[in-house]
Amino acid sequence: MKEFSFAQNFSIIALNAQNSLHLTTAKIVSLRCMAAAVMLEKYLDKGFTKAGEVLTITTEDLQSAAIPTYQESVVKVILGKKETMSLTLPEYLRKVTKLSGKMLKEVEHGFAISLKEENAIEEIPALLGCDLEYVTAGISMREYRSQTDLYRRIAESLRAESLEEGNMTDEAILMLWLLRESGCLYDLFSKIELKRVAERMIEMLDSSALAKQIYPVIIHKSIETAVKNFLNMKKEVMSTPTGSGINFIFPLIERSQSVFIDTEEYFANKEDRLRDVIARLESQGHHYSVIRTGEVPLIKIDNVLYEAVPSAKQYPVPVHGVRLRKHPLSL
Amino acid sequence: MSRQRSIEKILASQFISIGELVRLTGCRYSTLKFYTEEGMLPFEQEEEKLTRRFPRVEAIDTIKEIQELKKQGHSIPEIKAKLNKGT
Repeated sequence: MKEFSFAQNFSIIALNAQNSLHLTTAKIVSLRCMAAAVMLEKYLDKGFTKAGEVLTITTEDLQSAAIPTYQESVVKVILGKKETMSLTLPEYLRKVTKLSGKMLKEVEHGFAISLKEENAIEEIPALLGCDLEYVTAGISMREYRSQTDLYRRIAESLRAESLEEGNMTDEAILMLWLLRESGCLYDLFSKIELKRVAERMIEMLDSSALAKQIYPVIIHKSIETAVKNFLNMKKEVMSTPTGSGINFIFPLIERSQSVFIDTEEYFANKEDRLRDVIARLESQGHHYSVIRTGEVPLIKIDNVLYEAVPSAKQYPVPVHGVRLRKHPLSL
Repeated sequence: MSRQRSIEKILASQFISIGELVRLTGCRYSTLKFYTEEGMLPFEQEEEKLTRRFPRVEAIDTIKEIQELKKQGHSIPEIKAKLNKGT
């Protein structure tokens, strides 16, 4: 079993289902935190020259043959034109908020190369490409997909460590901070579990010197997190017995959350609807598993849960089908 | 500071945590927690608030056995009965 580094483990969670071609707001948030993860990894692995609280990196660190591609790309953008840099760990973490779009692209490139080499992530056609209008228009969109087994092992071992009694490792303490700052906590924990996670983070603030140093640091920008979590807020606004969220009624607000797949027949029954959805997913190369069948099946597609809600679209001729809607795990 | 143990070190340990059991088996945490609370997985716990420690070899063998019995179509009560008979 191949073991990945701390920063790679975080990036496997953070890059999953992100647009691989464009720098979306959600991806910017993730990339900043991936850069922070590299700084934390260097700290854990004693990769800085330390004098008291002050940590130093120099361009000489980049000459080492042992430095992985993703670390090299992050250290380069953090250093910029400077030969050497001496800051405390929280200061290094805050530096990632100043990274430009071009720099973040370099960070993404460094991670994507190393993770693709190890088959930990791959680029696939985006789920939105399954939408009737995208299929008929022939528009190609791509996204990252983390290897399912690897994603599950990382997510579940963190869940185990966070939700169980007892001590937490430094990796888990820092991973919770990164997930909090990247807005990914909602992907891994339910609403009830999040309360327990919050309690654990408070416990760690008392008992762990590392948590005491890192947890007060804020690197997220509220407006970006708000954009990223906008969909979660929308879901909370409205829920119906067959699905939840404003998208159920106003799907045009955010298409990526509301993929419409047409069925072959009018008034297709639940089996036919599911068959047509699966056929479309297979034709676009998505990994899926049907968690629950029935009127509104629950399908796990590329590590993310979706409900397949029966629906229809009004064109000159009405089209029947289903809407794939992200399952609100945290609701 | 307490660091996460490498897979190599976990595989050399007699007792492991539930998080490490998840890493080794790839099972969901909630599944292993359910097995533990149903008394299907053996563990040790020094005090109520301390980490549960699982005997690595025995726990992994039991999980494999449970998965095999589930594949054969047995229900959880049936699996529990079979596991109890075996002990």
